[in-house]
Amino acid sequence: MKKRLRIYWPFVNAGLQEVASYRVNWIFFMLGEALSCVVMYFIWSAVYHSGGGGVMNGFTMSQMIVYLVMIFLTRTLIDSDVSFTVGEEIRDGSIIMRMLKPVSYNATFLFHELGGKLPTTIALSGPMIIAVEIIRTVLDGTFQFSVGSLLLYIVSCVLAYLINFYFNICFGFAAFVIKYLWGANMMKNVLVGFFSGAVIPLSFLPEWLERVFLFLPFASLNYTPVMIYMGQYAGAEIVYFMGLQVFWVLFFCGLSKLLWKVSVKRLTVQGG
Amino acid sequence: MKTIRRMFRIHRIFLVQELKRMMEYKGDFVVGIIGFLLIQLSNLLFLWIIFSQIPDLEGWSISEIIFIYGLSLIPKGIDHFFFDNLWSIGYFIVRKGDFDKYLTRPVNTLFHVLVEKIQIDALGELIMGIVLVCSSVAGLQVEWDAFRIIGMILIIPFITLIFTGIKTITAAIAFWTKRSGNVIYMFYMFNDFAKYPATIYSRWVQNIITYIIPFALTSYFPALFILKGENPLFNLGMPVLASLVLMTAGILVWNKGLKAYESAGS
Repeated sequence: MKKRLRIYWPFVNAGLQEVASYRVNWIFFMLGEALSCVVMYFIWSAVYHSGGGGVMNGFTMSQMIVYLVMIFLTRTLIDSDVSFTVGEEIRDGSIIMRMLKPVSYNATFLFHELGGKLPTTIALSGPMIIAVEIIRTVLDGTFQFSVGSLLLYIVSCVLAYLINFYFNICFGFAAFVIKYLWGANMMKNVLVGFFSGAVIPLSFLPEWLERVFLFLPFASLNYTPVMIYMGQYAGAEIVYFMGLQVFWVLFFCGLSKLLWKVSVKRLTVQGG
Repeated sequence: MKTIRRMFRIHRIFLVQELKRMMEYKGDFVVGIIGFLLIQLSNLLFLWIIFSQIPDLEGWSISEIIFIYGLSLIPKGIDHFFFDNLWSIGYFIVRKGDFDKYLTRPVNTLFHVLVEKIQIDALGELIMGIVLVCSSVAGLQVEWDAFRIIGMILIIPFITLIFTGIKTITAAIAFWTKRSGNVIYMFYMFNDFAKYPATIYSRWVQNIITYIIPFALTSYFPALFILKGENPLFNLGMPVLASLVLMTAGILVWNKGLKAYESAGS
């Protein structure tokens, strides 16, 4: 364990320094992302206002606000753009530099990205959780924070991130087939966004569709952690959905190793 | 007159070059167009699910919302199609020192940057916008007179310049800071507000998107005139005024930025 840490620490550190050098850019990017959250807030207010208030598909207005903020936080925490990095490295051949090193290929990406995530996680999580609790307390008049839910949320987020990471590794290997990764990535993000409940809570969908989406790996990314934090899932459901998350982590981890074995044989690096 | 003719000729040469380049990767641009179509489809699905729960959104029918939404996509798509290159200025051209190449050519730099590339992906937005506007017409109670139709067609180029102007100003910031891609991104994201009727926002948000970062002028106000025949002087005049102000400001900031530009390294 200690040896592992020593080997991979430089990758964490590199990720950290990259983010640190683009601080201002990061702030502008987050502000841009937050704007769509603001638009969504106004639309939902109008929807609840036009619908006469009350509960819609299991969500009150205050729960919907909490949902929007928590989805925003969760998406940022579990975000992974490793598909892009992998794709680029395959295309320009710099992947060979990683293959030469006596370290696990996937792990170098994982630790690099985690390093970049460290500041974001610290800067966003605390304030946003506090904001959510203040919003809930003010709007509903009761203090609803639960340490248990928070701990389960953290575990669920870690699982969600791992699913997303390995899923994106698999997707990055698509660079062997698709040349225009930017477009393919965008397509992937739209579909994942919708399937994971980031656009609209899955309970708003027709029941049969909701059931299908809940089983697919994408609900495990955003919907499951957020629903757990909000206390929308009861005991047995929590066990089931977190079990499903573990299943998808193992599935995509295995698939990425398999794809790696297959694609390495097809890899040709020119010059280099 | 001669310079304008020269500009058009240069533009045509660049366009032909671009098309040749794109024909090499046909599969890629299909992927790009489908990608942008999917983004719009996901938003439409959202609207459709919402409207299955409520009769109207603060007094706006689904046809009206779709009209506003579609109208916002058309100028956005046109700007995206022709002037996408500004993003590259903000993200890497200035930072890598590649901007030098524009300075060595006998063409206005801003003009050169604008016409150098086209972005075929934008067709996803443009096609969707036109389809939505046309398909919403059946559900609207609008008297389509010549004044409305001509007004709508004439206003679109001006609205497009609102997008281009905002992108030019924010891209030019890169001349001072080396990198302004995410600044463009933040201001560009304000166009999310334009997709829905401004009346659903609070007063101060309405003021921001009307007078400061005027994306409400890109669809909501023109739509007010087209749908309800209200106040053409403000609803069409303001977008024209805003586009001229923003584009002029864009050119001024750009030229000032050129003087501050220092090439990178070797």
